[in-house]
Amino acid sequence: MFKKKDVTLIIAVLILAGLIAAFLRIYSGETGETVRIMIDGNEYGSYPLGEDSVIEIGNAFGYNRIVIENGEVFMQEADCPDQYCVEHKAISKTNETIVCLPHKLVVELHVQNREDDFDSIAQ
Amino acid sequence: MKERWKRVLSVGVLMIVGITIGLFLRDDNKSVTKNLFAMDTYMELTAYGRNSEEAVEAAVQEIQRLDALLSTGSEMSEVTIVNREKKGSLSEDYAYLLKRSMELWKLTDGAFDITVYPLMQAWGFADKKYRVPSVTEIESLLTYVDTSKISYDETTNEVVIPEQAQIDFGGIAKGYTSSMVAQIMKKYHIQSAMFNLGGNVQTVGTKADGSLWRIAIKSPYDNVPYLGVISIAEKAVITSGGYERYFEEDGIRYHHIINPKTGMPVQNGLVSVTIICEDGTMADGLSTSLFVMGKETAISFWKAHSEMFDMILCDEECKLYVTEGIKECFSTELEYEIISKY
Repeated sequence: MFKKKDVTLIIAVLILAGLIAAFLRIYSGETGETVRIMIDGNEYGSYPLGEDSVIEIGNAFGYNRIVIENGEVFMQEADCPDQYCVEHKAISKTNETIVCLPHKLVVELHVQNREDDFDSIAQ
Repeated sequence: MKERWKRVLSVGVLMIVGITIGLFLRDDNKSVTKNLFAMDTYMELTAYGRNSEEAVEAAVQEIQRLDALLSTGSEMSEVTIVNREKKGSLSEDYAYLLKRSMELWKLTDGAFDITVYPLMQAWGFADKKYRVPSVTEIESLLTYVDTSKISYDETTNEVVIPEQAQIDFGGIAKGYTSSMVAQIMKKYHIQSAMFNLGGNVQTVGTKADGSLWRIAIKSPYDNVPYLGVISIAEKAVITSGGYERYFEEDGIRYHHIINPKTGMPVQNGLVSVTIICEDGTMADGLSTSLFVMGKETAISFWKAHSEMFDMILCDEECKLYVTEGIKECFSTELEYEIISKY
C-alpha cells in the first residue's frame, strides 16, 4: 500500500517535527546557562552565565551591582541596610539564588542538568 | 497531479496530528512557577500538570491571606490586634497555630516559645534596628516569656494573654503556610509540586518524572558549598541556623534565634538544624527548638520522638549528625555520624 517514497516522506516529516519541537524547547528558555534577575516577582533580565558582565540596577528600591565572572555570579555592591546579598558567596549551580530582600531583588541561576544538581535549597 | 495533491494533503494531516499530540503532552507536563515576597522573605512556588496555573494562583492568594493575618509588622493583623488588646476571639488559623504552639512548648520543655517576642523586639530583630540589650533589660523582659500564662478556651475560642506578653508565630508560620499550600495542591489534584518559602522547602508528591526531589542544605561555611543533598517525596525540609539573620557589634555576631530561657542568641556549638517530616508546621517549630536545645538534648529528644521526624545537625567543627531514618537518602561529602535509636 505505502510506497517507499511515502515512507521516506513520513520519516522526513517526523524528523522535521522533532527538530521544530527541539527548537521550541530551546527557544522557551528551558535549557542553557542563564542568570535571571527578578525584581518584585517580575523578570528584569536574563544574561548568559558564560559571558563576563556587570549589571547595575538602580530603581526605587535601591542600587545593586551584580557581577558575572568565570561562570559565577555574585553581588558586588548594594546599598541595602543588611548587606546579606553582598556577603552571600558566589553562585554557580542551577537553582541557586542570591536574594536582596530589602530591594525585592533575586538573582537566579538556570544551568543545564548536571550530575550534582538539586531542585531547591533548604536554609 | 491528483496523486500529488493527495500526498500534500496527507502530509498536512500528519503534521496537524503531530502538533496536536505534541501540544497535548506539553500541557500535561507543563509547569508553572511563581515568585513572591511575603512574610518578610522570598518565596518560590512550582507546580506541574494540568491545573498548575490555577493551583499556584490559589496558593499565592493563600500566602497573602496568611501573611495579612500573622504579620507582626502590620497594625491590622490578627496577631497585632491580640498583642494590643491582650484578648480576642480567634480565627481558625490563629487558634490552630496557638494550639500547635502550646503543644510544642510542652513537648520541647519550653525550647519553643511564642511569647519570646518582647526579646526579639529588644534585640531589634522585629524592626531591624539591631542593638544589644542590657542584662537587666533582658532579665526583666524574660519575666514576660511564658507560654503557660496564655489562657485559651477551646470551646469559646477566646484567648487572654498577660498585660506585658506578646505573641509571635514567626517560628512556625512559614511551616504552617507551606502545609496549607500543600493542601491547596491536593485540592487541585496536583501530583507534583514544590515550594520554597524563604528556605523552608515543602514537596508534594515526587518530581514530574516520578523521581525524588533533591534538596540541598545550605552550608553556613564559605569553603563548603552545601552540607549535603537529601532525596525526598511528600515531605518538608526545614533548616534553622544562626546565619540567616544576624548583626555584628564590637566584633561579636548576634543572630536571631533567641533562647527563651536566657533571652540571649543561642550559643551552644550547633550551627544548623534541619528537620525532615511530612508536617511542615511541626518541621518549622522543631527546627527552631532543637537548635535552641543544643546537640545532646536534640539527640535525646529525637530518640524519644523518632517516629515523628528525622534530622540533620551540623556543629561548629562542620561535623554532621544524621538520624538513621534518612541515612539512605542523604548524601554528603562531610564527616558525619549516624544517630540510631538504640
